Amino acid sequence: MKAKNLLSIIVVLLAFCLTLSGQNATVKSNSVLTLGYATDSAKNFTGSIEKITGKQIGNKDQISSPIEAMRGRIPGLTVQHGNGSAALDAVRLRGTTSLTTGNDPLIIVDGVFGDLSLLESVYPSDIESFTILKDASETSQYGSRGAAGVIEVTTVKGSKGKTRVSYNGSFGIASAYKTLDMLNADGFRSVATERGISILDKGYSTDFQKEIEQTGIQQQHHIAFSGGNDDGNYRVALGFIDKQGVILHELRRNFTSNMNMSQSLFDGFVKCDLGLFGSIMKSHNLVDYQKTFYSAEAFNPTFPNHKNTESGSWDQITEASQITNPLAWMEVKDHDANSLLSTHARLTFALPLDFKLAIFGAYTYTDYENSQYLPTAVWAHGQAYKGNKRTESMLGNAVLTYKKTVGKHYFDALALAELQKDIYSGFCTTVTNFNTDEFGYNNLQAGALRLWEGTRSYYEDPHLASFMGRLNYTYNDRYLFTFSARTDGSSKFGANHKWGFFPSASAAWVVSNEPFLRGVTAIDNLKIRTGYGFAGNQNGIDSYTTANLVQPNGVVPIGSTYAVSLANLLNTNHDLKWEVKRTFNAGFDLSLLNGEVLFSFNYYNSKTKDMLYLYDVSVPPFPYNTLLANIGSMRNSGTEISVGFTPIRTNDIDLSINANVSFQHNKLLSLSGEFSGEQISAPEYKAISSLNGAGFHGGYNHIVYQIVGQPLGVFYLPHCTGLKSDGNGGYTYQIADLNNDGKVSIEDGEDRYIAGQAMPKAILGSNISFRYKRIDVALQINGAFGHKIYNGTSLSYMNMNSFPEYNVLRKAPEQNIKDQTATDYWLENGDYVNFDYITVGWRVPLHSRYFTALRLSLTVNNLATISGYSGLTPMINSSSVNSTLGVDDKRNYPLSRTYTIGVNVNF
Amino acid sequence: MKILKYILPISAILLCSCNSYLEEDPKDRIPEDDAYYSSLSSLYLNGVASLYNYIGGYDDSQGLQGTGRGVYDLNTFTTDEAIMPTRGGDWYDGGFWQGLYLHNWGVDNYAIRATWEYLYKVVAMCDYSLIKIDDYGELHGISTVKAYRDEVRAIRVMYYYYLLDLFGNVPVVDEVEYNYQIGRKAVFEYLFNELQDCASGLSTSRSNSPGDYYGRITRPVAFFLLAKMALNAEVYDDDNWTDSSRPDGSNIYFTVGGKKLNAWQTCKAYCDSITALGYKLESNYESNFAVYNEGSVENIFTIPMNKTLYTNQMQYLFRSRHYNHGKAYGLGGENGSSATLEALNVFGYGTGSVDPRFDKCYYADTVRNLAGNVVTLDDGITPLVYHPREVALDVSTTSYEKTAGARMRKYAIDVNATKDGKLMENDIVLFRYADVLLMKCEAEVRAGESGQTEFDAVRNRVGASHREATLDNILAERQLELAWEGWRRQDLVRFGKFTRAYSFRPQLSGEANGYTTVFPIPSKVLSMNSHMTQNPGY
Repeated sequence: MKAKNLLSIIVVLLAFCLTLSGQNATVKSNSVLTLGYATDSAKNFTGSIEKITGKQIGNKDQISSPIEAMRGRIPGLTVQHGNGSAALDAVRLRGTTSLTTGNDPLIIVDGVFGDLSLLESVYPSDIESFTILKDASETSQYGSRGAAGVIEVTTVKGSKGKTRVSYNGSFGIASAYKTLDMLNADGFRSVATERGISILDKGYSTDFQKEIEQTGIQQQHHIAFSGGNDDGNYRVALGFIDKQGVILHELRRNFTSNMNMSQSLFDGFVKCDLGLFGSIMKSHNLVDYQKTFYSAEAFNPTFPNHKNTESGSWDQITEASQITNPLAWMEVKDHDANSLLSTHARLTFALPLDFKLAIFGAYTYTDYENSQYLPTAVWAHGQAYKGNKRTESMLGNAVLTYKKTVGKHYFDALALAELQKDIYSGFCTTVTNFNTDEFGYNNLQAGALRLWEGTRSYYEDPHLASFMGRLNYTYNDRYLFTFSARTDGSSKFGANHKWGFFPSASAAWVVSNEPFLRGVTAIDNLKIRTGYGFAGNQNGIDSYTTANLVQPNGVVPIGSTYAVSLANLLNTNHDLKWEVKRTFNAGFDLSLLNGEVLFSFNYYNSKTKDMLYLYDVSVPPFPYNTLLANIGSMRNSGTEISVGFTPIRTNDIDLSINANVSFQHNKLLSLSGEFSGEQISAPEYKAISSLNGAGFHGGYNHIVYQIVGQPLGVFYLPHCTGLKSDGNGGYTYQIADLNNDGKVSIEDGEDRYIAGQAMPKAILGSNISFRYKRIDVALQINGAFGHKIYNGTSLSYMNMNSFPEYNVLRKAPEQNIKDQTATDYWLENGDYVNFDYITVGWRVPLHSRYFTALRLSLTVNNLATISGYSGLTPMINSSSVNSTLGVDDKRNYPLSRTYTIGVNVNF
Repeated sequence: MKILKYILPISAILLCSCNSYLEEDPKDRIPEDDAYYSSLSSLYLNGVASLYNYIGGYDDSQGLQGTGRGVYDLNTFTTDEAIMPTRGGDWYDGGFWQGLYLHNWGVDNYAIRATWEYLYKVVAMCDYSLIKIDDYGELHGISTVKAYRDEVRAIRVMYYYYLLDLFGNVPVVDEVEYNYQIGRKAVFEYLFNELQDCASGLSTSRSNSPGDYYGRITRPVAFFLLAKMALNAEVYDDDNWTDSSRPDGSNIYFTVGGKKLNAWQTCKAYCDSITALGYKLESNYESNFAVYNEGSVENIFTIPMNKTLYTNQMQYLFRSRHYNHGKAYGLGGENGSSATLEALNVFGYGTGSVDPRFDKCYYADTVRNLAGNVVTLDDGITPLVYHPREVALDVSTTSYEKTAGARMRKYAIDVNATKDGKLMENDIVLFRYADVLLMKCEAEVRAGESGQTEFDAVRNRVGASHREATLDNILAERQLELAWEGWRRQDLVRFGKFTRAYSFRPQLSGEANGYTTVFPIPSKVLSMNSHMTQNPGY
């Protein structure tokens, strides 16, 4: 489909959204919010706050990860689908602002700090609400940790009344519906015959892509008890998720529990909250996506789908060295077990004179074990690996708050002191040379060899200390001001650079409370906001990089014996300091016609300075070619618009439509500067992602680059003017001499050009919910536009030179390209609209003493995708800066759909 | 605001007490002072022995030999000795190997850059060790550290020697200062004097056999390097290598043992010194490359290999042999590197008089496993046959796509090798005595003397027929004796033949002036370091 058609569909879709209506993610102005350390009425906050409540998520009880619940619902929030059942999603708030890995938003669950894996430990049904903080005035509360945004999760609490029990469960089936259209066995034979190529024909006809699939059975159960009285409440919930993927053996099991209780003591002088949540997640993973799908697609289809009956092992094709028999590969074991336990307690004292003191402590322990076995069929002599990573995190803080209303003046002040200490430790060992596969990884003594570099352990304990003051002032419910000042100290930085200062200021004007608008009844609320603030980042870096420390670098013979020698393995930077992001934001919220129309607009512009990054440095004088330093800068700006309409709201019929669209722009401003008197500048072109596979090792196979002055992640490619006959019936890519120097060179800086960006310029999220009496329907639609995708899969599988060792696409023989040079020929438009899910629910009418509510529902996931992209799916990695950014390269997880039936009962 | 007034000073007090909380206390690494200054033995271990970890390696471009896309490949696949043919989907690798073969490697070749960075990394580590050794000496007021200094300086010279040979006009960084591009001649003179000066402080023990000096740079190793540098003096003493004129070795003088000797005399003197230390030819050529070759009386300097102790790999047999060939040994293969047509011609392959070393250096024709049985392809019927003369830059879609080319043999198969055969026990031979004899022979011939004695010794050991010791025959003999040992590029440059055209390789335009005899200084290094200028021609 042409991009034009696609765009027109978007326009229609948006127009459709705009003409219909609902309840929006934008927070109602009178609700009470807990924002980080501060609790206040939403009308008193000056920043943009997005909140999703559990009720708004139409398919909450059928999703297995809380992250899925947010997808498409928050402007500026990108959720990249992880492929497969066990893969984690990647989350970005307002894009990538750092070149290090500190781009994951801070996750806070009931006050406990963590990362995305903490979120995975919460059963979706246990979530009361998500609050998403993006503006500097709000994120700066978190100082060092807030630079990439904050997602706060509040879990469901018990409430006053008699004990309630609820159950919800679901049963689903996932199945693949589309794989790549490779040559089948007959086609494979006939192409070989036509061309007089001798092939190894085993006489079978096997579709290996189908052979490695399974029907994924998925079930979820969740049960909760809750109750309470005037002084306290409690809730206990247990959940179980069992989710098979559509590839053989792929499985994720998650046991979760969440308990909390709250009690007032001494006539309300002290309020005590206790919480405990934990999860044990076990998964069977696909070891290497590229190896798995590259093998399934390109393996000789005349091979059988069973072991060789004579030898008892899988037949291999030795000449196709980059792939392996996909069914043999399925015998690779890769098992994870991730346990998390988190406990927390908060004591809140109602002190005299309107002072309130809250003391909070949390301890989180995670243990991640990974076990792998590569059988002798795919790895000469077999290999077993076992590794363990442990994280302990201790957090303690004390918050003193003071609230006072004097006439038209309202004050709200807060002071905070906080300490955090993490301990990361772990070990792993690798054993090879097995005589039998039967032990797997369960008895490492079954392997004969332990290489020196195969066993290791580590320990790291970063510390943070923070102090913050925050002041809210509201005059006459019209003019709002917030100032906050936070200072953070991190053990990771050099002696004189440990502390960072992160202030912010913001203001809001509630125009609708002005006398001149009082008479306009159509306007319920109009609030104009602006703010400016600093946030720090240190998440992406390791400890111990600022001192001269030594580690083992190998074994050397000394005399007649052997010894482990030590060396400093990195360039030390004594002056390492905080990366700082300064954000300006402005926007407004508008609510019309009794909330029937909601409109919210936000603009932000942030500049990341002193950017922490592993800069390429010149060797000599440096011994190593990278240096972790604070040099460069990057700009992110964007506009977020969300609209909501509720055109119909009657007893029988509800219709609401929400849509949000975010436009993001990113520019890498500089990667050069001064380091201890020396001018350092990073290379002009630096590759981010490249192609892999047969014939793609090294050389000119870099696709996505980071180039100063450009958005992060641009395609920098030679230009192909068309196919050129090679004189023997085949075709090669004709490459243009872009710099007109009379010769074609595809080196960086020569005949290459910037051909587009890998990250979308615009992201769309839309949900439509409709209720007719007891039947409700929810539809979620997401989209991304303005970016490109490099179709490395087609480049590989259209190359007839790789036939017959590697199978090719069905259309490859006809086009007869005999070339695998990476040019812009396979660069395609990445725009897409994805119908994420539709849920139909029915609240069953009940007249029972025991049941208070019963709801049945059906959800279909991944309904359809509209896209002009010629590959399997345009939903590849278009947001995370890593080695797969923007490149579709033989990692084609089959397109699959999940059908889920859900039951929800309250007793 | 009142509250803030109190909070700020309280915070300030807390901030100070927090500073100790924010001190790092690493447990999985230790302060370097403990590693260098705690005792003389730890100073040696971490300041000196530690540097030998970098001689071999397993990552691309790391290590002097054994790994891919590094010093060895830049010296081998750029010549008429070896070729990595594109084989259908395999070995195209974005044009990397063809680029090396055609001398069309570009100024931004990542492998050239990685090699540069590897060599300078070790130089920088040597510089750092010297600082630590001096500090230790000062701290403890002892002079024993001179031997340590000499050893580290010798290691550093060896790395500079590779830099000088590959890149020409290279910056000299030592423990005191950073000298940008002082000219190839000046670098050469500095290196030669430096090595002469520290060689006297080195032990005369063998380095290739287990014992106190196993794997270390000892005096014979330093003498070998001095002989090499003297033999190549005409190249290294030439600041302008694109002006078609070169100094005459007879007029380049060195001071050896108090005597002023020209380049040829110097080379001979150091060769004789090695002979005097007891090095000689093994009666059996193959003993030098056996699985347990530590007992060789011929090997001078090797990369110690031990699969459970060291990470050093030998990837060259693995990447050369056919998949089924490797499988026949219970190992792996990548079906790549092959002999060029020129190498086949030098060996007389397919003629009536094949050099006896051909079968010791190459697998050709029908492949057999260690039991002598014919190795077959995946169908279990078709025998695996290598076709040496079908080799070309790109053999894709030909009937010989997977079988063209004679493959690397040289080293005995270690059936207990692991990692597909890359972790094998045979020590990798860097310097050996046969080369000393050929160097001396060449120096004599270049000085107008005979050289026949040394020439005959090398040929007679393998039972090769008599040949005259002429320059042409010496160049051929170096190919025959030292195939797959990483000397070809340097030899061709010294003989003025590196830039000539040969099979599938036309001479580049402008190459006749010799600009490709050194690699470009990687453009990324230049872009980050404004003090340096590019080599001429690039």
